Amino acid sequence: MHKYLLRRALFALGTMVGVSLIIFVVLRVLPGDPLVAILGVEGYNKMSPADHAQIMADLGLSDPLPVQYVRWLGDIATGRLGKSFFRGDTVRDLILHRGPLSAEIAVLALFISWLIGLPIGILSAIRPNGWGDTVARSLSILFIAIPGFWLGLLLVLALLFWFGYKAPILVIHLWEDPWQNLQLIIGPAAVLGLAQGAYIARMSRSCLLEVIREDYVRTARAKGAVERAVVLHHALPNALLPVITISGVLLGFVLGGSVAVEQAFGVPGLGRALVTAIIERDIIVVQNLVLLYALIFVAVNVVVDLSYAWLDPRIRYH
Amino acid sequence: MADPVPSKARKLPVSRRSFLKTLGVAGAAGSAPAFLRSRAEAQETPARDAGAKRGGTLRYGILSAPAHFDIHQSGTVANLGAQSPMYDCLIRRDPHDGQTIIPDLAHKWDVSPDGKKYTFQIRKGVKFHDGAELTANDVKATYDRIVRPPKGVVIPRSSLFTAVGEIVVVDPYRVEFRLTEPRPKAFMLAAFASGWNVIVRKKTLDDNHGNLRQIENFPGTGPFRHVSRKDKEVWIQERNPNYWNKGLPYVDRLEIYHLAPFSPELGSAFLSGKIDYARLLDPVSWRKAKEMPGVTAAQFNQSVIQAYWVNMKKKPFADPRVRRAIHLAMDRNALVDVVKDTAPMQIGGFVYPFHEASTPKAELVKRLGYQADTKAAVQEARKLMAAAGYAQGIKNLDFVVREIATFKLWAVAIQAMLKETLNIECNLRVVQTSQWFEEAGAGNFDLAISAIVSSVMDPSDYFEAWYGKNGPQNYGGWTNEQFHSLARQIEREVDENKRKTMIRQAEDILESDPPLIPVAYERINDAWYNRVHGQNPTSYFGIYDVARWDTAWMS
Repeated sequence: MHKYLLRRALFALGTMVGVSLIIFVVLRVLPGDPLVAILGVEGYNKMSPADHAQIMADLGLSDPLPVQYVRWLGDIATGRLGKSFFRGDTVRDLILHRGPLSAEIAVLALFISWLIGLPIGILSAIRPNGWGDTVARSLSILFIAIPGFWLGLLLVLALLFWFGYKAPILVIHLWEDPWQNLQLIIGPAAVLGLAQGAYIARMSRSCLLEVIREDYVRTARAKGAVERAVVLHHALPNALLPVITISGVLLGFVLGGSVAVEQAFGVPGLGRALVTAIIERDIIVVQNLVLLYALIFVAVNVVVDLSYAWLDPRIRYH
Repeated sequence: MADPVPSKARKLPVSRRSFLKTLGVAGAAGSAPAFLRSRAEAQETPARDAGAKRGGTLRYGILSAPAHFDIHQSGTVANLGAQSPMYDCLIRRDPHDGQTIIPDLAHKWDVSPDGKKYTFQIRKGVKFHDGAELTANDVKATYDRIVRPPKGVVIPRSSLFTAVGEIVVVDPYRVEFRLTEPRPKAFMLAAFASGWNVIVRKKTLDDNHGNLRQIENFPGTGPFRHVSRKDKEVWIQERNPNYWNKGLPYVDRLEIYHLAPFSPELGSAFLSGKIDYARLLDPVSWRKAKEMPGVTAAQFNQSVIQAYWVNMKKKPFADPRVRRAIHLAMDRNALVDVVKDTAPMQIGGFVYPFHEASTPKAELVKRLGYQADTKAAVQEARKLMAAAGYAQGIKNLDFVVREIATFKLWAVAIQAMLKETLNIECNLRVVQTSQWFEEAGAGNFDLAISAIVSSVMDPSDYFEAWYGKNGPQNYGGWTNEQFHSLARQIEREVDENKRKTMIRQAEDILESDPPLIPVAYERINDAWYNRVHGQNPTSYFGIYDVARWDTAWMS
């Protein structure tokens, strides 16, 4: 087990180094001058080449790429993660301030996806091809197909024009005001959760259908167990393993989707910060946020792998 | 606490005089020019509204997440929108009309008869927010930096003061600007009254080596003081109890929310009542706001031209006939209509269409290229193309489009207009803003669409920048010796009538030999709940000169 953990940790570290290199290089080869956003269009146009060189040097952007990369690694090691080009705020502060909102959205979205997806999947599997199954499958395809940001915009407009309602416009943390905080996160979480719930429903339905035909399920029925116990205590635990696996993958989609959905809802989370940083070409912020997203994705996958042993005692790590 | 009076029936807090001025600026070509309305002789601070009340919090929504904090180095409302209330200028535009120049930190000023010396008398007893007293040395340090920025500091307004040779502190409360050659008084006063030219402490500049980009809260003398800022969220300011202009400001607290221009967030924040005043509303939300009871919606001129450039270094475009043909082929009414739900626009030529010296709108719309019926203009354009040897059209043009909704919409419309009228075929290449400026600067385009701004409305500010031989925004690389010579004369001419005639002559040159193709001039949509008083932007020019909120009050 320890060897396995060590191996997984090393793989994860290698992945992160690879991701960091790709982000670092891509952001620097992409066209576009960050000084346009820093100085504004008018200032940029009136800047002399000498001023351009001076400002680039001040920002550390004229150093050789390996020097810039090592400096970034140093910033990661100190935990400050570097400073935004713009107002000089540290990326760590940005993450600490906005990260909790995005994390809440992701967790709540995952919770909603299970809350909706699992019962629908079970009901569909118990009575396959019935009208309930057909409706559930149609809805799941619909929610997979609808882009989250579009659904988000519709919700925002509907709430605004029908009820004159708009969620808070500032970051409000859970510990500051839970009710206001919930108003901020519930919209994006619901939109993301609906889409992921559709995947969960489809996956749990197909897994359960497969398991339900197994001998041990037939045995349970033959022993006289009630249908509810057969499904919930015998079939479902064994059908959940792939659902858990896909939940890990879906968390990645939730993180990615939150970028557009936060933008649609105007929620000042990390996803929105990432979009703004990309527009501003604030590459220090972009590279750190993308790396953070990659780290979360890798970590979730490791946790999902490790959870197999706990869920299925037959699995042993070597 | 919405005002129960419906917007259409409510009484605006605007005097009869301001209203008449508004009408004059909006379109009456024969009205007195703004510079003649300068209250320099009277030299009063903003008039107090009768019945104005103290107290309350004003929640203002505007783009207010600046890339840095150095107002002088900025060119975006992201700085002025949030920071302006904390600072003062030497002189300013009256917030009641946005036109009249009135005293600010300078209580009096004189211009020498030869137009080469501007003397400002500074108020005594004015304190910066850190308690230090304002003196002429602070004014000199501020303007020394604006006129001749240190290395690594870029100030877009330096070009307004190219004629300033020396800034001399006569005594602690008097400062003289000595010009190397005369400039029109109206132009120079407009430059000094520009909202960007806020006065900062000499010590602040010295302590930070003349660069305030990363100094969040440097002391000003303004009506509001910094309290806190949450990046890309809100900037909170409180009333300055020691403000030199006694009785102002009226409101106790300003909450300036960062809400992007024309964005659904700004629209929804205003329509749901989360903010009291919204600047740069998208047209759809603005129209909705206009219908709401207890809300006033206003539209005013902005200092931005939307245009596309043709690269003179590419063969077909060196010929002015080809450029004029392209200029004439534009159906400008359709172009304004194309973006009507994205951004408010109006038709104009090469000079701000609302400037006193430009061709009046009534006359402009009769001119080829600006008419509602484009048939005659297109016929003329085809003749010009044939005369230039391009009767069959031009193929494979690289049209670089800035990644902004209006430009993308326009690019498609322009592509279709050029194909249909002149058989000019373009390939659209949409790029991010930062890349657009790299491509435009390097001349990597045939056609390129974007927008450019000026600090003041006077042509002397932008003739050099937009159309000058080495003008920073002359992306097409246009030259016309007759124009350049005329522009230099306009810059120096102090007789306003002669100047006006020369500006019209310059317009004629630009029409026949276009340095760029004007698409439209931007307008600004503001809306506010009627509980906000003391500020009506209807006659403002742009969003940069009047953004201090010292005269605003809440009921």
